Amino acid sequence: MNKISYYNRRFGYLLASPAILILVLIILVPITISIITSFFDYTLIDRDLDKFTGLKNYFSVINNPKFINSFFVTISFVIFVVLFEFLLGFLIAILLNKVTKFRNIYYFILLIPLLINPVVVGLIWRMFLHPQLGIVNYLIGFLGISPVNWLGDPQIAFVTIIFVDIWHQVSFMIILLLAGLASIPEEPYEAARIDGANEFRQFLDITLPYMRPVIIITLLIRLIFAVKTYDLIYIMTKGGPGEATDLISYYIYRSAFISLNLGEAASMSVLLLIIICVIIFPLFKYMNRADE
Amino acid sequence: MKTIPLLISLLFIFNMNANAVTLRAVMENVPDTGFIQELLPEFTAKTGIEVEFEVMGYGEMHPKLVPSLIASTGSYDFMPVDFYWVGEFDKAGWMMSLDDFIKKDEFDTSVYFDSLMDLTGRIGDTTYMLPFYNYAMGLTVRKDLLDDSSNQAKFEDKYGMKLKLPTEWDEYLNQVEFFTDKDKGFYGVVNQGGKADPIAMEWSNYLFARGGDFHDDNWNGLLTSNNALEALKDYVSMVNNYGPLGAESFGFDEAFNVAAQGNAYSYLTYNFFLNSYNDPEQSAVVGKMELIPVPGEGGLNGAWGWSIPKSSPNAEAAWEFLKWVESPDIAKRRAALGGAPTRKDVFNDPDLNEQFDHYPLLKDLLATAKNFPLFTYTPQFVEVMGTELSKAVIGEQDPAVALKIMNDELEALAAKDGKR
Repeated sequence: MNKISYYNRRFGYLLASPAILILVLIILVPITISIITSFFDYTLIDRDLDKFTGLKNYFSVINNPKFINSFFVTISFVIFVVLFEFLLGFLIAILLNKVTKFRNIYYFILLIPLLINPVVVGLIWRMFLHPQLGIVNYLIGFLGISPVNWLGDPQIAFVTIIFVDIWHQVSFMIILLLAGLASIPEEPYEAARIDGANEFRQFLDITLPYMRPVIIITLLIRLIFAVKTYDLIYIMTKGGPGEATDLISYYIYRSAFISLNLGEAASMSVLLLIIICVIIFPLFKYMNRADE
Repeated sequence: MKTIPLLISLLFIFNMNANAVTLRAVMENVPDTGFIQELLPEFTAKTGIEVEFEVMGYGEMHPKLVPSLIASTGSYDFMPVDFYWVGEFDKAGWMMSLDDFIKKDEFDTSVYFDSLMDLTGRIGDTTYMLPFYNYAMGLTVRKDLLDDSSNQAKFEDKYGMKLKLPTEWDEYLNQVEFFTDKDKGFYGVVNQGGKADPIAMEWSNYLFARGGDFHDDNWNGLLTSNNALEALKDYVSMVNNYGPLGAESFGFDEAFNVAAQGNAYSYLTYNFFLNSYNDPEQSAVVGKMELIPVPGEGGLNGAWGWSIPKSSPNAEAAWEFLKWVESPDIAKRRAALGGAPTRKDVFNDPDLNEQFDHYPLLKDLLATAKNFPLFTYTPQFVEVMGTELSKAVIGEQDPAVALKIMNDELEALAAKDGKR
């Protein structure tokens, strides 16, 4: 019996080995190369991996006020977009969950922003938000509101980027959360109603506990993608005005492709990877606990 | 039996197609690319060589090109090179010398303006590029407003000088102030204050106009001079006092649209926009805009060059294309379509001078335009400039401090490049 299970296990490994090999090749190899590169003075102009600099790139990055600024701008951006997208997404998902008719139609409508390439989203909104010629200032003019400097004022530009990201990504939250809500069985609600629990009590004691794994995985995925936001910034603000919207991914891109300093860009990427791991680790832990 | 000749014919055709060369290149989505695309079928008919352009925005080009340039055999057979990639591409050794091709075919490079050959042609004694199109910057102003007698009288009354095409910087500043009427939604100037390239390129004109420069012959920075400070103060004032809302974030297309919709007196921009101003589909000021050299001490030069990467899979065929696209006939026809020429003979062509009455002026503009600092780290310096200028415009940085940071960075990068 033990022998059979031993051979079965080996056969299982054999079957899984191509997939594991592909994973190693497409995930671990590039990450390892990035980590190695981060310890070298490696630029696209001088592409010899022969100048080992140890932790110099890391110290240089940590002591760079522009990188630190990017880091904090990114943290603020991530907190705002993930929080607002979650709250708004959950609210809309709960409301839509009550609707039973035309479900396919609203699913399709919800999917539309997600299907648009972020570059196109950036271009569309940049056009809409043109202070003189854009439709947004034209429409708010009817309400007696003065034209707004959407992308030229540092504070407003930051809020604008958050708004556009929410517009683009909130559907992602809605769809995942809606799928989670639809999978909750009806029986606990019926029992709660018999016991006299109101809607809010049902939400707290049934919906939230059932939804916990979905919420965590949704937040997790969205958080990772929010940290990596690049396209919107590239198209809409180029990190400006000043450094108001200079997100870390765009900073890394500039380091790699404008300064051509791949060693430094790699060290930033590794730091970003560590930061993401630090953020998502508690969520993972919490999710595992919730599963148990 | 009949099938055998048919099969042989098919094999022959298949073999012909298999051997046919298709040249590939990344091209920017600008009018000059479109003009060449219109003429490409003629090149294919003449040489049998197909040409495929991957047309994209400027920002996508560099990241797209670099991986191909690093490879031993790249994806692109020839490439347009913006002037501020030249130092970097040269240092990395990515461009093929064109000297052997030029010698073999006796291609005459003396037809190009020296200023453009210095910018996107020769590096030292070697020719790596042929100037493709120029984008030297000039000032575009509303001639109809300058010609208005009522405006002339009011201006003379207020400033004690005649209202005319400005030749001095202070004269231009007065005109900007005079024409600004924000209540009516009309602005003396529209700026391209977005990061990083738009603001850096535009402000360079202000620097030159004020008599400033980036560095001396030994690459000692000159950006802490009074001229530079005045130039930056002018720029900050223009954007904040005389320009439309949002100019701090405008790229050239957005700024152009404000001017083209008739909402601004002036826009300091790339000379090829003059044709767009005169296109009724894009403009509400057809025939009203005049292009003039930047008042004061001159404006910024700019150009793209044609180059063949060392990693080009079809260098010979690529040279055939370059030779064709830069031949006198094709260069003239591109110009007739509205292209921005680089050859002197095109500027001297009587037909084109009849078609474009601004050619004599443009010729002067190219001959006198000043170059941006050209070295390996030009793109990196533009980034620093863009950020500091932008911070000065939005009031997050004192202009003098911004200039000091730019100056220090220029000197540090020049030293890193072995220039100092």
